[in-house]
Amino acid sequence: MTQPVAWRRLSPRMLLVHPIHEVVRQLPLLIGSVVLGTATGNPLWSIGLLALTIGYGVARWYTTSYRIDAEQIQLRAGVLQRKVLSLPRNRIRSVSTDARLLHRLLSLTVVKVSTGQEGRGDADFELDAVLTDELTALRALLLEEAPSVDAVPTERVLARWQPSWLRYSPLSFTGLAMIAAAFGLVYQTGAVAVLEDSELARAGLDAAERAGVLVTVIVLAVGVLVGSVLLSVARSLFTYGNLMLSRRDDGDGVLHLEHGLLRLRQHTYDIARLRGGTLREPLLVRLFGGARLDAVMTGVNGAGEASLLLPPCPRATAQRVLGELTAPAVGDELRGHGAAATRRRWTKAFMFPAILVVALGVSTLYVAMPSAVWVVFGVFCVASAGLAADRSRALGHRVDAQWLVARSGSLERRRDCIAAAGIIGWTVRQTVFQRRAGVATLIAATAAGVKGYRVLDVPADLAWAVAAEASPWVADNEWVRA
Amino acid sequence: MWAVAAAVPWALLAVGQVVWWVLDGRWPLWHALAAAVTVGGALFFIGVVPLWRYRVHRWEVGAQAVYTRTGWLVEERRIAPISRVQTVDTQRGPIDRLFGLANVTVTTASSAGAVQIVALDSDVADRIAAQLTDIASLGEQDAT
Repeated sequence: MTQPVAWRRLSPRMLLVHPIHEVVRQLPLLIGSVVLGTATGNPLWSIGLLALTIGYGVARWYTTSYRIDAEQIQLRAGVLQRKVLSLPRNRIRSVSTDARLLHRLLSLTVVKVSTGQEGRGDADFELDAVLTDELTALRALLLEEAPSVDAVPTERVLARWQPSWLRYSPLSFTGLAMIAAAFGLVYQTGAVAVLEDSELARAGLDAAERAGVLVTVIVLAVGVLVGSVLLSVARSLFTYGNLMLSRRDDGDGVLHLEHGLLRLRQHTYDIARLRGGTLREPLLVRLFGGARLDAVMTGVNGAGEASLLLPPCPRATAQRVLGELTAPAVGDELRGHGAAATRRRWTKAFMFPAILVVALGVSTLYVAMPSAVWVVFGVFCVASAGLAADRSRALGHRVDAQWLVARSGSLERRRDCIAAAGIIGWTVRQTVFQRRAGVATLIAATAAGVKGYRVLDVPADLAWAVAAEASPWVADNEWVRA
Repeated sequence: MWAVAAAVPWALLAVGQVVWWVLDGRWPLWHALAAAVTVGGALFFIGVVPLWRYRVHRWEVGAQAVYTRTGWLVEERRIAPISRVQTVDTQRGPIDRLFGLANVTVTTASSAGAVQIVALDSDVADRIAAQLTDIASLGEQDAT
């Protein structure tokens, strides 16, 4: 062992950023202190707390240091509670960076290193923050790439963000969720109580009384809808604007994802860790010919933002990228699961309407039902039928020695492509009803993504054959053949 | 073992009902009904289900893979290759110890791929654990 590598500090510019972030984070407390200060007539309360917060932010810089040596990277952090986080360098799976507005103004970047383990919360290895100029060198160092100074790496762009992708963003519920969250926040801080007494609210109520209930409800609904659409579009624009997915094929090969207008985020993945991809087509997005792409990767959380490769975009783009990342064959026609699986989709879809019709029938004996109930019920039945038909059409799988592809779902249709080499276990599950129908659910266990990928309602006699096709070791087991 | 394990919650339920009846004996009909449900459920879960589970339950540690079959209403068959085994645990709960049994859990890198072999004789469990640990330490690839 050579002499230990010196501990390095984060960028001194963080002396400016940390206090501001700290103040923002403690804002409720600070507001409380201001209230307390004015109530007791002693402004020292708020000044003291502000000074404490800023001091804490400054102290964070002084107490945080990191070093990278031949075997591991270490992070020392914590103001009151010291902690040292060590990470073996050969376990690093991906490096992502994140620059918020303030960071970007000061040309700083947060670097986050993730490993194969599901490190969450405290265990995150996060360098907040280093100079953006040092970033390329640092990333190369972390991912142990050959220093490519003379040879410009061959970077191939897989997909680039188009403004037209925005047309898929109103089709999600993010805007609605944001409105709900904002309303909840406003309500909690007690602003609603203030509003109730205000001129504005009174004027609104008067207007509502004049217009009548129906109009008010319609106006409100349209307002919320428009607001949610605008919010989703804006969010999508700011989060995914300038998105670029590219692949570098020097040495191991890395996948590089970059997105964000104000808050710039970059993720770098090791392609050797890629175990496949999931093409997700929520119903509304699918109707407009869109799809989103998630990576199935070891060390990257399977659901949510972390694994996102492409936000909702035209299906052709998503499919092309998926094909390039895995194998063109994964786009092939799937093999359907047959009549039994289809029948099960129909029975499942009509289970609820059947219970409903019995309940309705019984209740008509006691109370008179308005005919509108039956209209709603009819619409519901038609929707169930559509769901069942769509779900049974979606079911399918395709398997060869390299890839397992499974598709299912209607409202949340997904097409999982898993590398056979990454599958480390199989489960065949049969409920009583599945046994009677002669189908089984096959679950492929992998270390990547959401860990278990299921092939729904495969014909039971085919289940083990599918498993054996992807993993030859399964076929050697005599239990399976029996 | 399964019968005893199933008997415990049903016995608790029965005790609870007796307490209820002692504290509040106003509706004898309801008490009788609840008691009937409890007795019926207990008979089924103590008498029938353990036998059913025992008939389904299979396990094998082969040269290449660990295989189990478990369940009663929902049957589950699981297979994991020995070369991908990461850890081998044995656990023994109070009821297991009463009968001299042990459970062996074989985990792989995937949280969806753990294979659990329940209710083995203790010495068999120890032998399997030792055998699997030996093999696991030989293998290097865990396909993460």
